[in-house]
Amino acid sequence: MPVIEVDGLSKTYRVYQKPEGLLASLRGLVRREYRLVEAVRGIRLAVEAGEFVAFLGPNGAGKTTTLKLLSGIITPTAGTARVLGHIPWKREDAYRRRFALVMGQKNQLWWDLPAAESFRLHQHIYRIDPQQFRRTCSQLAEMLDVAHLLQQPVRELSLGERMKMELIAALLHSPEVLFLDEPTIGLDVVAQHRIQSFLRHYQASHGVTILLTSHYMKDVAALCKRVVIIAQGSIIYDGSLSGIIDRFSGQKIISLQMANGQAFDQLDRFGEVLSVEPPRAKLRIRRSDVTQTLARLLSAHAVVDVTVEDPPLEEVIAEVFSHPEEHWGRKVGEAPDLMEDRG
Amino acid sequence: MWRYVRILITCARNSLVRDMSFRTNFVLETISSLSWVLMNLGFYVLIFRYAPEIGKGTGWGQYQFFMFLATGLLINSVVQMVFMINAEEFTEAVRTGALDFVLVRPIDTQFFISIRRFDWSALGNFLLGIALGVYALGKMGHLPTALQLILYALYVGCGIAIYYSLMIALAAATVWMGRNLTVLDFWFYITIFARYPMEIYSGPVGGVLRWAFTFVLPVLIVVNVPARMLLRPLLPQSTAEWMLPLFGLAATVACLGVSRWLFQKALENYRSASS
Repeated sequence: MPVIEVDGLSKTYRVYQKPEGLLASLRGLVRREYRLVEAVRGIRLAVEAGEFVAFLGPNGAGKTTTLKLLSGIITPTAGTARVLGHIPWKREDAYRRRFALVMGQKNQLWWDLPAAESFRLHQHIYRIDPQQFRRTCSQLAEMLDVAHLLQQPVRELSLGERMKMELIAALLHSPEVLFLDEPTIGLDVVAQHRIQSFLRHYQASHGVTILLTSHYMKDVAALCKRVVIIAQGSIIYDGSLSGIIDRFSGQKIISLQMANGQAFDQLDRFGEVLSVEPPRAKLRIRRSDVTQTLARLLSAHAVVDVTVEDPPLEEVIAEVFSHPEEHWGRKVGEAPDLMEDRG
Repeated sequence: MWRYVRILITCARNSLVRDMSFRTNFVLETISSLSWVLMNLGFYVLIFRYAPEIGKGTGWGQYQFFMFLATGLLINSVVQMVFMINAEEFTEAVRTGALDFVLVRPIDTQFFISIRRFDWSALGNFLLGIALGVYALGKMGHLPTALQLILYALYVGCGIAIYYSLMIALAAATVWMGRNLTVLDFWFYITIFARYPMEIYSGPVGGVLRWAFTFVLPVLIVVNVPARMLLRPLLPQSTAEWMLPLFGLAATVACLGVSRWLFQKALENYRSASS
């Protein structure tokens, strides 16, 4: 039975349209114009226990809104959702004790106090046994290499250190479901890698179900087998990371290494020239033309080495995010009827 | 229940640790708060040089009025120490979306947002209120009975609850307004009427004010009822005054109930903010 079950979940906001200019602003005191923003449009999703699912999408796609709905922070306009058998927006303590939320852009710790003081408050709120609390706290602090920083005021920690403390705060009560909203945003490569490693290890050892939103493909590639892409409030893809390229990219990248003295000026006959750094060159061609183009290339040029690759994942996803309707092939907002078999 | 007490103590402790880490700010806040109260007291001492009591035959002589002031000071200092800073933070948390993290905690949201921070600099006012009350009672030569003290404590609690209800209801309105910087201003304007004995509200205008601030927004009973409980010279003189303490209890329950309902409605309509 899925841990997270979502069906037809929608959230629409009424947003005030503030007109420009003083007169228009004064008019706005009496008469206001609103616009309806469909942040989430009838999404359907099922996540099994122990899955690590990435929630991808451009800014404003509805990722965070979905996490907020599943956390019970906001109530939906329509649809149903059950997490661990609970309806999130009923905000039952029995549910709130079983999940945790980490938001990379928001701080849940007392800013002027050491993180340890916030952790103690969490201990009381979540009714954590004192012995278990001490054990979990020291284990997590050791794993994230911040044990020596527990008594330092949060405001004096670096962003990476603070995010590690946020993770500890979220995991003290051993949640069964973890919602991570861009946990590595703004972090340097080292801190990102450290947090990725920690999450991978923690998820594997505790079997916790994790829903992660991130703009960093490295996070997703390192952690998630399953990817859900949301655009304009609708889910347009649900499957494996590699499946994204198969589904959305109709192109391949050919890297060539020419023999010495070969001319590079007529390569554009074969496809889009991405770069020329003699003796190497890169071309982008249609996936369906690979065999034919390679044959023509090899007969026309003395090629020493050739490789055919998929375009970078970031590039494919950026393309999907830019034109979701084009890639989905239907009006965004309609429920998908064909998902990749996730195996 | 015990868990809630422990959370309250932890929040109070954390706030004290935080306040102590900004010592100068804490001392200055305490001094400015105490100075304001002492200046007010000096002002009333000056007034009582020219008038023996407030209104003829009301029983509110200088030391009775000081007891009234002390009661107001006790109630206000508790509100300032516990609830005012939290109401301010709540309105900001709604605007910035920081309320998200409170809503995911397995604890009563209203309780938690009401006691998260303590403003310990108001403790000076609380102690001054006790000192002023003891001084006033001493000067009157009046030793309250145990029952009077219990009723006094009960009605001080009712007064705090009424003020709190008004404040939390105003703060909850932020959810619909989006931004609500006038919460405390409005609360301050309304509670000005509670700083004086009911007897001063006489005549046509005073009568309307007295009625409105007793039965519509019951701020007049906040200080008046507990102060009367302690002051024998102000024993109820009419049936209407006997009813006042009973009404005080009913008003407290009603205020807490209405503000609770409003707060819950506000949470249902919470939109969060962009992350």
